[in-house]
Parts: sequence; C-alpha cells; structure tokens
Amino acid sequence: MAGNKRLMKELAENQSTPPPGCKISLENDDDILLWNVTMTAPSDSIYAGGNFKILIKIPKEYPFKPPVLNFKTKVYHPNVTNDENGSMCLGMLRPDEWKPPNKISDVLKLVRTVLAAPQPDDAVEQGIADQYKNNRKEFEKVAKDWVNKYAK
Amino acid sequence: MTLRGMRRLEARRQMEESNFLLSKARSQNLNPPVDFRLLDYVTAYDDNLMCAICRCPFVDPVVLAECDHYFCRDCIRQSWGSTYSPSGPRGDCPQCRTPARLGTRSATSKILVNILDDLLVKCPKHEEGCPVSVKRGEVEDHMNIYCGYAYQECAGERCELPVRRKDADQGCLHFGVSCFDCHETMQKSTLENHWRSECAVRRVTCPRCNMHVLSKDLDSHNSETCEAVSIPCPGASIGCTSRSKRSQAQTHAKSCTFAKLAPVISSQKSRMDEQEAAQKLLSRKLEVLETGFGVMQGILYPKVSVEADDLAADESRIPFLDNSASERTLPPHHPRMFSGDSSGNALSPFDFPVPPTSRPSSAAPGVARRASPIGLPPSESAAALRQHDPIEAYNTNYDLASPGLPPPSTSGGPYVSPLHHLLSMHESLRDEMSRVNSALQELDGRHSMQTLNENLRTREEISYLGAQLAGLSRQVHWLTSTQLQRQSRSATPSAVAGSSSEMAGTSVEAAVNAVSTAATALRGAARMVSVGQGQSSSGSHGPMRRENSAEGRTKL
Ligand SMILES: [Zn+2]
Ligand SMILES: [Zn+2]
Ligand SMILES: [Zn+2]
Ligand SMILES: [Zn+2]
Ligand SMILES: [Zn+2]
Ligand SMILES: [Zn+2]
Ligand SMILES: [Zn+2]
Repeated sequence: MAGNKRLMKELAENQSTPPPGCKISLENDDDILLWNVTMTAPSDSIYAGGNFKILIKIPKEYPFKPPVLNFKTKVYHPNVTNDENGSMCLGMLRPDEWKPPNKISDVLKLVRTVLAAPQPDDAVEQGIADQYKNNRKEFEKVAKDWVNKYAK
Repeated sequence: MTLRGMRRLEARRQMEESNFLLSKARSQNLNPPVDFRLLDYVTAYDDNLMCAICRCPFVDPVVLAECDHYFCRDCIRQSWGSTYSPSGPRGDCPQCRTPARLGTRSATSKILVNILDDLLVKCPKHEEGCPVSVKRGEVEDHMNIYCGYAYQECAGERCELPVRRKDADQGCLHFGVSCFDCHETMQKSTLENHWRSECAVRRVTCPRCNMHVLSKDLDSHNSETCEAVSIPCPGASIGCTSRSKRSQAQTHAKSCTFAKLAPVISSQKSRMDEQEAAQKLLSRKLEVLETGFGVMQGILYPKVSVEADDLAADESRIPFLDNSASERTLPPHHPRMFSGDSSGNALSPFDFPVPPTSRPSSAAPGVARRASPIGLPPSESAAALRQHDPIEAYNTNYDLASPGLPPPSTSGGPYVSPLHHLLSMHESLRDEMSRVNSALQELDGRHSMQTLNENLRTREEISYLGAQLAGLSRQVHWLTSTQLQRQSRSATPSAVAGSSSEMAGTSVEAAVNAVSTAATALRGAARMVSVGQGQSSSGSHGPMRRENSAEGRTKL
C-alpha cells in the first residue's frame, strides 16, 4: 500500500514534469504497475529523431524491488537485447544494486544517457559492442538505418 | 407474490449479506488503524522531512547511526526483509549501502518527531464528508473519539453493527430502506452516503443559490460553480483580502491590482522555483565534480610528505616523456609550485637536478645552502644531501630518462597507460620548472654578489677620497696660516712681500682648485653609489655599474 501511494505520487510528478525527452502514460488505465514511456533520443546522439517505446513493469514490492524495462521499439544498441524483449541492462536495475530511494524518473534519465552513450564494456549484445568499438562507422550506419526503419 | 413482497425479500437478503460483511470488518476493527502514508497533507512540508523510500513525511523515523540516514521504521524493516539478528534488524543502508543496524541508538530526536506531529492533515474520512483538518499527531485521537464519520457500535438493542458516530444517536439504522428517488434498496445507515456520492437521480436545492443540482454534485457545485459562494480574490496569494460572490468576482478582479499582478508573480515564482531546483542540481553536480577533481589531484600530486619519502623511488619509476621537447617548452605556471610552496612544506627548488649548462656558479650553492632549513627531518635531509651534488643527481636522472627505456619496475607492475602518461608528463614538467627556477635563483645570487662587491669598492673609494680631501684641506690651512704669518712678520720689507704674497696667492688658488676637483669627484662617487644601489635592488645588469665606477675612477 505504501508503495502504491508512492507510485501514484511518482506517476503524478512524472506526468506534470516529465523527465527530459520522455512522455509517460499508463498502458491500461486501471493498472498502475505498467507504465508506457515514449522516449525521444537526444538530438546530438546517433539515434536522433527516433522515438522509442519503453514498457516499464513495476513489481508489487516497488520500491523494494526494481522495475523492469523493455524496449518495445527495436534499437541497434550494445546494451539492449536484440530480441522481442528488448531488455536493457542497467547496473542500477540489478536486484542487488537497486536502492529503494531510486525513482523511476532517475531510471529514465539514466536510460536516455546510456542510449546516447553506449557502454560497450557492459554489453548484452557482444557483437554490436565489438562493432561499436572496432568499426564505429558501420555501427552508426546500421543504428541510423534502424532508427529510420523502426523508430520513426 | 406481490412486487412489494419481492422487494422486501431482496432487501433482507442484501441486508443479511452486508451485515455479515460489516460484522466481519468489526471483528478485525471498527475503524482500521490510520495509515499515515495515505494521509493528505494540508501544510506543505520540507523535502528534508520526506523518507527516501516511501516519499512521505517520516512515520516513526529512525536514524542509522552508522551513516546518519533517516528512514521510517517500517520502511527500513521492509527494505531489509527477513535479515534479522539477535542484536536487532540489520542490513545495508538503502541509500548508501553502509552496513547498519537498528539498535538503541536509532531513535531520532524529539524535535523531529514534534515537527512531524505538527503537520496538518485532512481527516482520513474527508472523502466521506468529514471537513476537519487535524495535526498528524492527533489524527488517531480524532478518529477514535471525535470524528463523526468514524464507526462505532450501534446503540440499538441486540444490534452490534457499526454506525457512523454522528448517526449514533438516531437509534438503530440497520433496517432496509429504499431511496425515494432511484428506488434502490439499502440500509438506512448507508442512505446518506448513497445520496452523497451515488444516486444519479436525487436532486437537491442549493441552499445558497437555490439552483437544483444533483445531490452527488453538490460538493463540486459549491466548490466550482455556485454563483452565491463567496470566493477569495485571485490576488489573495499576494495580499488581497477581499472576498466576493462568484458572480461578482469578475468585477472585482477587473479593478484589483493584486488580481492583475497575481499571474505575473506566480509565474515568476514558478520560474524562481525552477531555477532554484536547477541550481540545486548544478551545485550537486559541482560537488561531485569537485570531489572528483580532488581525487584526480590526489592522484596527480600525491601528498608532499609521502612524496619526500618516495621521491627517489618516484624519480626512478617515472620516466620522462620527451626531455628534449620539455626542455624547450616552459609551462606557463605549475600548480604544484603554488600549492606546494605555499604550504611551506615543499621541496626547495634545489632538490631537483639542474642541467649542467645552467648550473649555479660558485655563489649559488651558498645561497642554496642558506635557503635550506637547519633542522631537516631525515627524509628531507636526504633530499638536502642530494642537492649538494646536483650533477650526480642529474646524471642518474638522465640515464633513466633516455627515451625507449622501459620504466624500471622497482615496485608494482607497469602503470595504467593514461595515468602513467599523465604522471610522466607531470614529472617532466615539474623537473623543467625546477630547472628554470634554479637558474633564476642562480642569476639572482650572482647579481646580489656583484652588487655587494661593487658597493664595497665604491665605499672604499669614497673613504679614500674623504681622506684625500682632509689632507688637502689640512694643506690649505697650513698654507694660509704660513702666508698670514709671513705677511704679519714682513710688513716692512714690502718689496719682497709683494712677490711673496703673489706667490702665496697662486698657491692658495691651486689648493682651492684641488679641493673643488676633489669635491666634484666625491659627488660623482656618491651618485655612482646611489645608482649602484638602485641597480642592485632592481636587479639589472652589472656592466653599466662597472662603467660607472670606471668613470668615477678616471675622474679622480
Ligand atoms: Zn518511509
Ligand atoms: Zn546511509
Ligand atoms: Zn473526521
Ligand atoms: Zn443497529
Ligand atoms: Zn438514489
Ligand atoms: Zn449554489
Ligand atoms: Zn482583490
């Protein structure tokens, strides 16, 4: 119950003053545990112009357990799994790293930062990470192609 | 069966069902305990009073003695889950991960509890109609004793069902009724609530404006549309105290300066709040950067005391990047020279090797020796010892510095490349700086020695001139006195006297000439000395001074 009240508060805050580049709504009006985020990539990143749909699943135990993030829009990025889940690996979302004081807006800010600046050393897609490190041009080309194909 | 009978039967069935539910609720508690996290706060509260976990003002706050972070007792327990130990719950601080535990030291100060208890909240039953706002510390009392919307046991005979406190004196209301307007069947005790929030048919007359409104909309009618309700001026937030009926509010607002200013001021205020928040963020960022910078500085410029101990090792461990290049380019300034020197604990510039080309002349080591403190700690005296043999230090340095040579690993493995790069760059810059510094010192020493020498010589010359002048004046005196004597003695033999007086006149004239020449020379010398002193203070070159003194000597 305490978590729910906090979640309602956070939702209200995020809707009145959303984190930069994010639009937040509920996936279903009667389910506060499923958030729908549309994230606009920073204009100075290679994903510029892309709008990415992210689904946030919030556990009942929130804030004692971390939310789970899934990219619903395909994105060519070393830190996002290239499957239908589109899971993003973020240190702060790991159960042993998660701190209850973290807010969902903090998570979204971090997601946007990582989107703009991939972390190849923490990659979940090793192939993309290697390409990012060794053949940046090719990586950027594919990433931009994907933005045009999926994220417009 | 008649329609009426069916309705009555249905009503009884419903009544029995709700009675069962209500009695079940009562067996737990007539009024569930107040959940402080669901309260609506009337007073704005400081962010500092907010628990980081539940984002509400603290409820039963505790402080973790290990890291000074505050949480609600429930929040921290829930966060730690089942990690329980005999000495009390323990776990990592949810905010900073310091291992901590809840113990006897975890109670917070009374003043924090008082501040929290004084926050004004709406009655938990405000949605059911209770208009009261109470201090948070008194909300349980309000619920248990005063609130008209809280439940208590029905006063009716053989009835133990809960009833709202305000309805308790109306006798047992636990019988079926049907709404006059929508004909829905319910218990009498819930009828009022039905009218208040559910009934889609019942209309009432607004007591203020006599308008017919839906009963369930009466609240919103009062707060939003009723023309007869008196509302505060839109400028109330900045000082207008006038209240007027909603229908006349527009007229007042048109003439009220406060009302006109209010939107401007509120937008300014929101902008200010925004800026403040941004500034808060920035200052936090700055703080982070500063600590990061401090750490970087710690890496780049290790503590001087440590460095003095490890200096020899450091010098051998860190090779120079490119000595030929760094010798040509001088750094504009060197942070360490300032921070280190001002601390008074720095190495004197002579602790560093000096290139042979600019090695101090014989005067400089003297200066250096004077500059180094007497009671050196062992580590520094080692450095001081080395300073007496700059060539050797320099040579060993250069051997190590020869490019292409891997750093001799006296301790640990090779450096991480960027750090290593920075360190070696820093080291070579520092070395270059110290070389320049020592060259400057040496030049300065040479200058002051020269000035000293010149001054000494000039002083000698002056005293010599003075002695000569004294001799001359003695001579003049003697000449004049003999002349006078001769004049007085041979007053009669005038023939001889004439020629001799002429002679005496010329000799006196010569003496006077000599004295005046000496005086000019003396003046010249004095000027020269003053010039020499000026030069020594301004530290300019020596040749001019030598010229000057030569001039003085030729004048003599
Ligand atoms: Zn809390
Ligand atoms: Zn802490
Ligand atoms: Zn009340
Ligand atoms: Zn009753
Ligand atoms: Zn009704
Ligand atoms: Zn009205
Ligand atoms: Zn006014």
